Amino acid sequence: MTTELRTESIPAPLIVEALKDAFRWERPEGRPATSPLGWVLTVPDTHQRSVLRLLTDDPDIRLLTCSTEDEANAIAAGLSIGGEPVLMLIQHAGLYASVNTLRGVAMDGRVPSFYLIGLLGRQPGQELSDSRSSMVRYAEPLLETFGVPYARLENADDLPRIAEYYRLSREQMGPTAVLVGLETGE
Amino acid sequence: MTMTPEDVVRVVAEMQGEGIVVPTMTTVPAWRTTAPEAASVACVGFMGGASSLGLGLALAEPGRRIVVLDGDGSLLMQLGSLATVAGAAPKNYTHVVMANGVYHTSGSQGIPAGDRIDFEGLARSAGYAHAETIDNLEDFRIRWPELLTREGPVMVQLITGEAELTPMTAPGGKPFAQQVAELREKLQGA
Repeated sequence: MTTELRTESIPAPLIVEALKDAFRWERPEGRPATSPLGWVLTVPDTHQRSVLRLLTDDPDIRLLTCSTEDEANAIAAGLSIGGEPVLMLIQHAGLYASVNTLRGVAMDGRVPSFYLIGLLGRQPGQELSDSRSSMVRYAEPLLETFGVPYARLENADDLPRIAEYYRLSREQMGPTAVLVGLETGE
Repeated sequence: MTMTPEDVVRVVAEMQGEGIVVPTMTTVPAWRTTAPEAASVACVGFMGGASSLGLGLALAEPGRRIVVLDGDGSLLMQLGSLATVAGAAPKNYTHVVMANGVYHTSGSQGIPAGDRIDFEGLARSAGYAHAETIDNLEDFRIRWPELLTREGPVMVQLITGEAELTPMTAPGGKPFAQQVAELREKLQGA
């Protein structure tokens, strides 16, 4: 028996709040309440553009656009070493493009690294393994090959996975990811 | 007389102060013997990432100077980082690019356009606050204190010869994870 996937476009404000929840957990002691909660490093993702639009003007978040996902990984490492809460918002193609840095920095360096990865081209209700898009199809196998714990963000019920996997990356001192199933809403 | 990466490392180590150094490739062996207790983390295992690792440290530690000891071949692997650094505009960031025109570690093959590429010009065009080129050790010694203190991001392209040692001829040193853990402890335990 197969269970139909309940996929939905999650409104961007809910995702932004979930990111803030993740950062609040890690907020360094003694930091002024008025200072930003953490850093979002991005190479812009079409799939999550409504989230990026909100983050651009959000005083609680420091948004830094990088030229490549390789850079995002290394910048995140520097911020993390200095005690700054940080996550990466990228697209599946960027995951493929930066695999060596993920391995060298997040895995070999034991650097807590959390990725929010947009699955551009994913069809509603469709299993990723059935997708005609190889970029959608290979995302989970690639993460599994590298032993990166991940979860899917398929509908609003999955929003707690963001803080959960962010925290897991800190506890395990390595990479974790949440895959954003459908394009985020307004 | 031609500068070597070892010459550069000695000058940087002498004047490090409270700063953090991010060496990579041929500066790694010299750095670990010249300044073994210094605040630093080497970019090893992800060639091209030194400028970005340094940027993250600069943003996290605005009160400390971050010095990236980069190579021309390494920087070419993530040349877009010049724009990312310029965009983030860290005032405490000094980017040293040792330009010898070759990938020394892998056997001194020439880098693309090694006879004409100008990293000072690239940094300036990307939007660094300051960029200059130095081709001898004496001038570097004189200029370094200002390059360490003026508002960044700063780039200095150093025309150098090849290093005496490379990570291939002088392997060893602490694993990257250990370096990360020790620097984290040094900064967050401070």
